[in-house]
Amino acid sequence: MDLQPGPEQEAIRDAVRTLLAERLPPERVRTVMAADPCLDEGVWRAAGELGWFGLHLPESAGGSGYGVAEAMLLFVELGRALAPGPWLGTVLAARALADTPAHAALLQAVVAGERRVAVVDDPADALGSAGSLRGRAATVLDAGVAHALLVVGARRVAWVDAAAGGVHVASAASMDPTRRVAGIDFADAAATVLAADAAALRRLGTVLAAAEAVGVAERALEASVAYAKVREQFGKPIGTFQAVKHRCADMATRTEAARSATTWAAVALDEGAPDVEFHVHVAKALATTAALVNAHDNVQNHGGMGYTWESDAHLYLKRARVLEHVFGSRTAHLDAIAAPWRAAS
Amino acid sequence: MEIRFSRDEEAFRAEARAWLEANVPRGQRPPPHDLHARRAYDMAWQRTMFDAGWAGINWPKEFGGRGASLMEQLIWFEEYARVGAPEASTGFVGLKHAGPTLIACGSDAQKAFHLPKILKGEVVWCQGFSEPNAGSDLASLQTRAVIDGDHLVVTGQKIWTSFGHIAEYQELLVRTDPDAPKHKGITWVICPMGLPGMDVRPIKTLAGNADFCEVFYDGVRVPLANVVGRLNDGWRVAMATLSFERGTAFMSEQVRLARRVEEVVALARRVPGPSGHARAIDDDEIARRLALARAEVEAMRAMTYRSLSTAARTGMPGPEGSMIRLFFSELIQRIDQVTMDILGPACLEGFSLDGAPEAGFSERYLTGLSQTIGGGTKEIQRNIVGERVLGLPR
Repeated sequence: MDLQPGPEQEAIRDAVRTLLAERLPPERVRTVMAADPCLDEGVWRAAGELGWFGLHLPESAGGSGYGVAEAMLLFVELGRALAPGPWLGTVLAARALADTPAHAALLQAVVAGERRVAVVDDPADALGSAGSLRGRAATVLDAGVAHALLVVGARRVAWVDAAAGGVHVASAASMDPTRRVAGIDFADAAATVLAADAAALRRLGTVLAAAEAVGVAERALEASVAYAKVREQFGKPIGTFQAVKHRCADMATRTEAARSATTWAAVALDEGAPDVEFHVHVAKALATTAALVNAHDNVQNHGGMGYTWESDAHLYLKRARVLEHVFGSRTAHLDAIAAPWRAAS
Repeated sequence: MEIRFSRDEEAFRAEARAWLEANVPRGQRPPPHDLHARRAYDMAWQRTMFDAGWAGINWPKEFGGRGASLMEQLIWFEEYARVGAPEASTGFVGLKHAGPTLIACGSDAQKAFHLPKILKGEVVWCQGFSEPNAGSDLASLQTRAVIDGDHLVVTGQKIWTSFGHIAEYQELLVRTDPDAPKHKGITWVICPMGLPGMDVRPIKTLAGNADFCEVFYDGVRVPLANVVGRLNDGWRVAMATLSFERGTAFMSEQVRLARRVEEVVALARRVPGPSGHARAIDDDEIARRLALARAEVEAMRAMTYRSLSTAARTGMPGPEGSMIRLFFSELIQRIDQVTMDILGPACLEGFSLDGAPEAGFSERYLTGLSQTIGGGTKEIQRNIVGERVLGLPR
């Protein structure tokens, strides 16, 4: 048993953190979020060259041969950096394509960062369960900058070109300026059904969304602690006041709980643990709660500055709001944990 | 990273589980208020573990312990909690605190005399740290000790001394240099209970039981040979085991809490809900509170594992131990609170003023209120996290 990253995992994390700190610092995120496309194409290309999209794939599939644990570390960093773009959909698409030998060329393009993919979560097969999609998908993240859509249904996973006939993507601003959303209308759009296991893919996506939320929770905590050390009132740093200090302590504890639960879920996925579904629900429920509560607390800890557009505090809050709704809300995951208890006795 | 244990560790788990299942006491444990029966029960169980080589799982072999690795300790405590073996109670201070302190700072004579008695379940230790005016601010303690020949003469008062009325020994902190800065003039001394001039008075808690005491000292003569470490170095001695304890003390709590949530879920499937549901579990609010509690117990397990992973590498648990402690103390209270809401008015009948043995859930709820006070209030824990983990200014 060892739930701390090993030297190789630390090296991966550090490399990702360094690149994002250099090329996607907060000022750059602000430039990107005001631009079109809402994405840093240079960083995206670099990620493709460095193999980030295939970190979790076997080398035989063009990946790096690591597992979900390493992908989790990547997504924590993406959350910390508030990276714009359809990272989750693209990483999930790589996984789904790797399970489908017939699509080697597509897989290669996705892993290389040449094809960006947004994810459409369709847990009840509202868009149909076969190779033709009909209906409307609301609030799809980053569809405006995606080349393709990965529709994760109840049992089937489908790939649709964003430019295909019968697919109409209407992008709009969202509460989170770094992540735009789209409404997508499917009018008998032709989709390629992939051989991937939809439930397994949803578990992976849920854990990676949780990881991104852990990153947001971490950064909100760090921002608060840094500010509490230097901001002075009544002649001393506000971090000396227990009202602030104790709130920071709670933020740290909440973050540690979320990070630990998410790490467990990721490693459980790698090990094929029998109770992995439960751990995925735990991770997502706790991680997005940590991100949201920490982001709120971080606004408060910054006082009047926290209420401004200039402060980054609102960006963490808004990203936390986004992640709360990726692959199921806190409430949905808690209900899933309770479901076996509520079955007829 | 991995959750799996090694083959050797799994073999150790199988051995521990088999032994515990075969040997854990079957009879009802006497309630805490029946102090002498509780003591006899606990000491007999300790002796059983000693005879089979399981006593002092984390103590080094040279002092009679098992000398288990951190992973083996985790496994032992998990299996221990899983079979519902008796929680450390009258033996707690000796095994988890005084013993390890003697191992770290005691003289050879002190170790040779005391350690076997603790391991064999022959003695109960109690703690004499807190005072009426030295609780969270422990270092401001005022109980005086002056040297008179080869004795320390102790005068003052200690409080919150669990099992003081049935203990043989007390780990006692006294002020031996009133002129030194407050952390510098303290001495850690072994005080035999029942010496002339000592007066032990039980304190009744809000739960109606009286397993802790206040102790008064009026010219109590304690041999100087009982000083552990050096004179006036007692603060360091007291802290020697605390940092390690913080990281490992909660190894078994996650299993105990998971069992507790299971019990409460079973209760919620059995009793009617607060607003007309046939079963409490059919109430969305109750179901979600229980689900959140279950999730947080799992997070605590993961935090414990992460903390141990750090300790296994560096030899010391990381500072996250103080976060685990804070998280645990509030989580167990949330579990008790949802339990009261599930029971509804029946929670009132679950509590008996004379401290009947089956007070159950309601007794737990009341005694659980001490979790965020004893051993450092939750406010002190938050200060520790804020200052030592996050580096915020004092």
